[in-house]
Amino acid sequence: MIKCVLPTLAIGVLAGYLNNMFGAPIINRIFSECLFNFSLISLLFLMGMLFALDEKATTKMKAAGLKVLVFPFAVASGSLIGGFVGGLILGTDVFASMAVCAGYGWYTLTGPLAGQLFGLKWGALGFAVNLLRELVTIATAWLAVKLDKYAPIAMGGATAMDTTLPIIVRYSGQETLITAFSSGFILTMAAPFTITAVAALAH
Amino acid sequence: MAGLSDVAVLVLSLALGLALGYSLRRKRGILKVEKLVLAIILALIFSLGFSIGSNSELLAVMPSIWLNALVLLVMVLLFSVLFAKAIVKLVKI
Repeated sequence: MIKCVLPTLAIGVLAGYLNNMFGAPIINRIFSECLFNFSLISLLFLMGMLFALDEKATTKMKAAGLKVLVFPFAVASGSLIGGFVGGLILGTDVFASMAVCAGYGWYTLTGPLAGQLFGLKWGALGFAVNLLRELVTIATAWLAVKLDKYAPIAMGGATAMDTTLPIIVRYSGQETLITAFSSGFILTMAAPFTITAVAALAH
Repeated sequence: MAGLSDVAVLVLSLALGLALGYSLRRKRGILKVEKLVLAIILALIFSLGFSIGSNSELLAVMPSIWLNALVLLVMVLLFSVLFAKAIVKLVKI
């Protein structure tokens, strides 16, 4: 599947770039918004249905129970420590680096929010780091799963509830659907709070 | 998806899918949607690429921030996976 995913992504980027130069804004709207929302909503519906139909997957999920809820806290802590260490390596503002990483992959939130709290450069970084987090998860989930079944869910962060969910389920297995979705959901809810909390610590 | 209100739509779609899946459990051989799912995944990835490609501001700023972005990305992925691996072992998910 990865053989299809990367070329499709590259063709999408090229098409978007060309459309931005020569095309019409309506075409951008059709592909970036309408197709995106339609495919995301229908995928969640279909994956939910496939999960519920798979009795083995639901049994495995029930065995894990509420333990799956601690998973996103590990991902959140890892992301913040990662931001801290990254800031130290770069010799830059560690709070700003932590805030950028506290977006957990939600780039449309982190870009503007980090920009507002720490300045333009951090806004661009907030957007880039979190967008790349999503793209790298899509591109390397097949490899990360060899390290640990749950590694792609940790890499996906907040995006594990939407864009990276189908890829995660494909490689980590049907039974990880609810773990991935709930982890993504909790991190999505936590992102705005953690970013502003880190900013409050900095100022 | 852009806003928190959209999260509700995603949760609802998943819940509807789960409910329908449960209600169809006893009926065998009615679903062969693997290829459809793959096609929709590719449509999603294409539209994601499209929105990145049309974001000229991001493409313009990338050359000046790519090194910082790369370091932060590697660290955030590394520590997220390490912490996740530790918690999976600790609570035996």
